[in-house]
Amino acid sequence: MGLSELLGTYGQNYLDGLLTTWGMTAVSFVFVMALAVLVTVMRVSPLAPLRAAGDLYVQVFRNIPGVALLIIIAYALPSLRVVLEWRTCVIVTTILLGSAFGSENFMSGINTISVGQIEAARSLGLTFGQILRRVVIPQALRTTVLPMTNLLIAVMLTTALGSQVPLDPQELTGVVSYVNTRSTGGILAFLISALGYALTAFVISFVGNRVDRRVRILR
Amino acid sequence: MSQRTTEGSRSGETPVIELRHVEKHFGDLHVLRDVSLSVHRGEVVVVIGPSGSGKSTMCRAINRLETIDSGEILIEGEPLPQEGRELARMRAELGMVFQQFNLFSHMSVLDNVTLGPRDVLGLSREEAESRAMELLARVGVAEQAHKVPAQLSGGQQQRAAIARSLAMRPKAMMFDEPTSALDPEMINEVLDVMVELARGGMTMVVVTHEMSFARRVADRVVFMADGQIMEEGAPDAFFDHPRTQRARDFLDSIRGH
Amino acid sequence: MSARAVSAPSVRDALFEAPGPRMRRKIVVGTAVSALLVALGLAVVVRQFYVTGQLDARYWSFFLEWTTWRFLAQGFVGTLEVALTAGAIALVLGLVLMLGRTSGVRPLSAVCRVVTDFFRGVPSLLLIYFFFLVVPQYGVKMPAFWMLTLPVALAAAGVLAEVFRAGVNAVPKGQVEAALSLGLSPARTMFKIVLPQAVRYVIPSLIAQLVVVVKDTTVAYVVSYPDLMQNARVLITSYDALVSMYLVIALIYILINYAINKASVYVAQRTGVKIIR
Repeated sequence: MGLSELLGTYGQNYLDGLLTTWGMTAVSFVFVMALAVLVTVMRVSPLAPLRAAGDLYVQVFRNIPGVALLIIIAYALPSLRVVLEWRTCVIVTTILLGSAFGSENFMSGINTISVGQIEAARSLGLTFGQILRRVVIPQALRTTVLPMTNLLIAVMLTTALGSQVPLDPQELTGVVSYVNTRSTGGILAFLISALGYALTAFVISFVGNRVDRRVRILR
Repeated sequence: MSQRTTEGSRSGETPVIELRHVEKHFGDLHVLRDVSLSVHRGEVVVVIGPSGSGKSTMCRAINRLETIDSGEILIEGEPLPQEGRELARMRAELGMVFQQFNLFSHMSVLDNVTLGPRDVLGLSREEAESRAMELLARVGVAEQAHKVPAQLSGGQQQRAAIARSLAMRPKAMMFDEPTSALDPEMINEVLDVMVELARGGMTMVVVTHEMSFARRVADRVVFMADGQIMEEGAPDAFFDHPRTQRARDFLDSIRGH
Repeated sequence: MSARAVSAPSVRDALFEAPGPRMRRKIVVGTAVSALLVALGLAVVVRQFYVTGQLDARYWSFFLEWTTWRFLAQGFVGTLEVALTAGAIALVLGLVLMLGRTSGVRPLSAVCRVVTDFFRGVPSLLLIYFFFLVVPQYGVKMPAFWMLTLPVALAAAGVLAEVFRAGVNAVPKGQVEAALSLGLSPARTMFKIVLPQAVRYVIPSLIAQLVVVVKDTTVAYVVSYPDLMQNARVLITSYDALVSMYLVIALIYILINYAINKASVYVAQRTGVKIIR
């Protein structure tokens, strides 16, 4: 199948696929960040049960294979009377996995700040809230631009799990499987989706690098 | 200067900083043993001693960067608050200069100096900046005001850190080994600023290994070893006629005898 | 100074200063409340298992039979074979891609860069569909093992190329200058001086990347290759025990990957190098 024939027959599928991938990535990433902040707050809190729960959360979701988690959410949860839409299943899976890594990024961002700077802020008479707002959070955010850029790409790649459940419309990976089970799309059928991912990743990391260069903290 | 330091002459006045029978352990290590010390207004107290003697810990305990197990710490006669806004307010009145400078690495030097005045004292940006520029000029880093700390030499960073503390108009300043992390050629530029400050009447507690500074500027030298204050006295008396064997050994070791 | 080093503080601990009496009371209350909340959450989950009958013996008893574990162990061997083979291929290919990229030969460097970025920028599932659905269209018949191992290896190779490059960049510039000034050719400098040191820097990171490889192998069922996950699916149909089986399998994967991460951290600490991710 040539390119024009492929696009003529399945062009709409690819376009929908790209938009679905982008859409799920964007929605997931917003929640990934929110949940990562929450889990990180738990992990640095002085309350031992919250610390333990936060640490356990991260260990579970950074070590579980994405497919295993998706299958549990999509196929095991209904047996426990928790039924989610297919699309929601994929997004929830992505959020759980992504937020564990996001929290790890925040933790290492926090750890690049020297304890001395926190003591200096304390000595100036800044309150706990002021120290967080003026010293800890700005530095943690600025040092995590690159890791979070990579995480955004990882979140996009994780949404390919959507090919393992019947989505409508399908995302980019699902489209390849769809096209190739109907016609012999050949390498082109694969390349269109692959380029959709690779070019998006390229743009994300280009923007991320630009932002990082602007906000990077000299040490 | 020296007649102001004799203990008897000021028994009626409340010390700016007072430690009473302070004890502290780090696990099995007894780092402060029954430490009592009074620092009066305008007095410069230099604390010396071998490393691990507890002198840094004592200095840091004064604004509760280290907690103590028992004993009392009083600031102008008031017990040091243990937490919350009261503690923050008290800290704002005590300056602290660290061995590692500890400038905020994501802010310009100017922002480092205006942060406290603006966020803690509630000064407007203009007020805070004019105060900051004046202080930065005084310590000789006004030209570096818009650079970030990493672009400054160690000596410049430490002088900026002193300006940051001074911007709070503190009642007293603590220096925790302020020159120990500096290259030799930068030590004097920092000491000069500290000498100026002492001459201007600032109440100071200085933990240092710079004996010439101690001799030149101190009203009183405190010698610590093994978590205890072994002896204290006027600098000339201490350096020329140390009373304890520990002090003699220490002075010999740093003189390289 | 040395006294302070006793309690070498991390920022995580330094963020909250040593509590005063009021704060200590709040922490005690907060600890109790949060412990209660965590327990409550667990209770809700367990209750949901109970009321839906998922705690019934028939869903769990087959875990007491050793045939179950033997079958799962066979699957685990399958997982291991794919993961180790893919890891080995990725190691070689990643190294080649890095060498090409840093070779200084313009076209070669550009090609290696594009290939590296491509494999890092596409999902491994898509690569699996390529080998499973696209390659056969060109008349190439592949066993399931390779339809799984090759895409997993390619995805990992892209990442490893970057890990190796970070390792090479971590070798002090002076080493290269010293070698070149001794008259070593650039190639000899790379192989004799830079690479041996770079490899030492990246060993913990390479171990950590094995986690990604193990995770990627779990889609083996797409190509019907009998790995741990696929064998679990077989057991699910024969015992009709979906929830319990998937939870146990997930736990096994979590423990495997946790162990690999721990090993990587252990090696990193012993050799005093940082893990590059």
